Amino acid sequence: MTLLSLYVLALLDGLLCGARVAMGRSAVIRKRVYYVRAQVKGLAGAQIVSTIALGALLLVSAQSAHRAALRADLEAAAGRMLWIFLPYAALVLGNILLRLLPSTDIRSATSVMMLGPLTAIRPLIMIAGVLYGISKSTLWETRVLGLFILALMLSLELVLNFLAARQQARELNALL
Amino acid sequence: MIAAWNPAQPEITDLIIRHDVQTLKRLPVRKAEVLKVFSGYGNSKACRAIAGLPDKEGVLDERAIDQLLVSTHWEMQRLAEEFYHGHRIWDLLRRLLVAIRKSGFRETLRVVDVGCGIGYTSRWLAARVPLAEYGIEVLGIDLNSALIREANRLAALEKLDCRFFHGDAFSPEHSGNIFLSTGVIHHFRGSALGDFLHRHDQPETLAFLHYDFQPWMLAPVGSWFFHYLRMRTAVAKHDGVLSAARAHQASTLVEASRSALPEFASGIYGARIWKTRAPRVFHTLLGLRRPLLPEFRQQLGVRIGRLGELR
Repeated sequence: MTLLSLYVLALLDGLLCGARVAMGRSAVIRKRVYYVRAQVKGLAGAQIVSTIALGALLLVSAQSAHRAALRADLEAAAGRMLWIFLPYAALVLGNILLRLLPSTDIRSATSVMMLGPLTAIRPLIMIAGVLYGISKSTLWETRVLGLFILALMLSLELVLNFLAARQQARELNALL
Repeated sequence: MIAAWNPAQPEITDLIIRHDVQTLKRLPVRKAEVLKVFSGYGNSKACRAIAGLPDKEGVLDERAIDQLLVSTHWEMQRLAEEFYHGHRIWDLLRRLLVAIRKSGFRETLRVVDVGCGIGYTSRWLAARVPLAEYGIEVLGIDLNSALIREANRLAALEKLDCRFFHGDAFSPEHSGNIFLSTGVIHHFRGSALGDFLHRHDQPETLAFLHYDFQPWMLAPVGSWFFHYLRMRTAVAKHDGVLSAARAHQASTLVEASRSALPEFASGIYGARIWKTRAPRVFHTLLGLRRPLLPEFRQQLGVRIGRLGELR
């Protein structure tokens, strides 16, 4: 259940990363299809990251001489990570929900005062979450896996951003 | 003061593209000249951003500059979307339109978006508002031909009923009944502000709405943080923050407007959030023909609290 929660959070993060890297790269007014595509790309990216992470986890587990202990250690680390990730995700989602209110001031304020800063601290939250998760781990495998997954998570937005920038450069070259 | 926030200096995008005012022909811009301006202000951030711009034998590469400006305007549109700028404009404009109609004006009303860039406001209106129902046509005018081409491309892509022209918004061929702009008015400094406003004084002009950053103590810091997070190019980050620092005080705008346009009642709209003292990011210099005033006040309804002294 804990690992499943982390997986769902990773997908949610991918979805939002996809939307974020797409923002400011298209100037049409009706953007629903554009953002849906961007979010699907983000989701696909998060799925790839999760699959790689799962592969690494299975590989380490298969090589381990103490599988049961490793599994328990991983579950405990993941549980601790959720203490950081879940409140952050709740804050982000709460502010996105606030944008449903029919007030331009409230909607703008969520961008300026909350979603912007929350985006800024995203890498710190990830680092803090993973470090807190593995801080009390007794097995080195858990620590290595945690750091490996952290690197994957942090690289997701960079890769998506790189791909979106390349596509934008192609579009601009074709336009001008 | 941080050199990049010195309001006395121009923005980078003011200098990296130049047009002949009469013929609108693009003029070459020497990189060294632009660098010299910002070196004079000790603005190393601007100098670094300019140094990175491609040039051919010292003259800024026009195609690269156009690409930069278009991508910057795409990013700026994202900010406008986050601020629900289209909604804000329409919320005020529709009340103005009703007031004008109730005054007996029957012909099609021409709304001119001055310095429209890639035409976000005009395209938003064309996409979201039944223009024909309100009897309005929307035109966007800008001195930058690349941005106008992009505005027309985007409008055609979405089959929007608005048009964009490269030229002077106050010329007889483009002039309109309502002028509006976003983030334009702070580019006019000193006597140029009065000159710009005075050009609204045409027989067919009924009103104007000029949206711009509202200056206050924390605006440059807030703008820096916001642009640091949101914008991708060094030029956009630099100019976005400088725009907030260069924004005119409400009193400057109102005094200039009342002096340049005595036939119009001028004032500031939307300076504060609700009934608090918290300032909105944008405020609006609003002006309208005096006979429209009573009906316009009526149309504002509960929004009347957002209206400053309009006289």
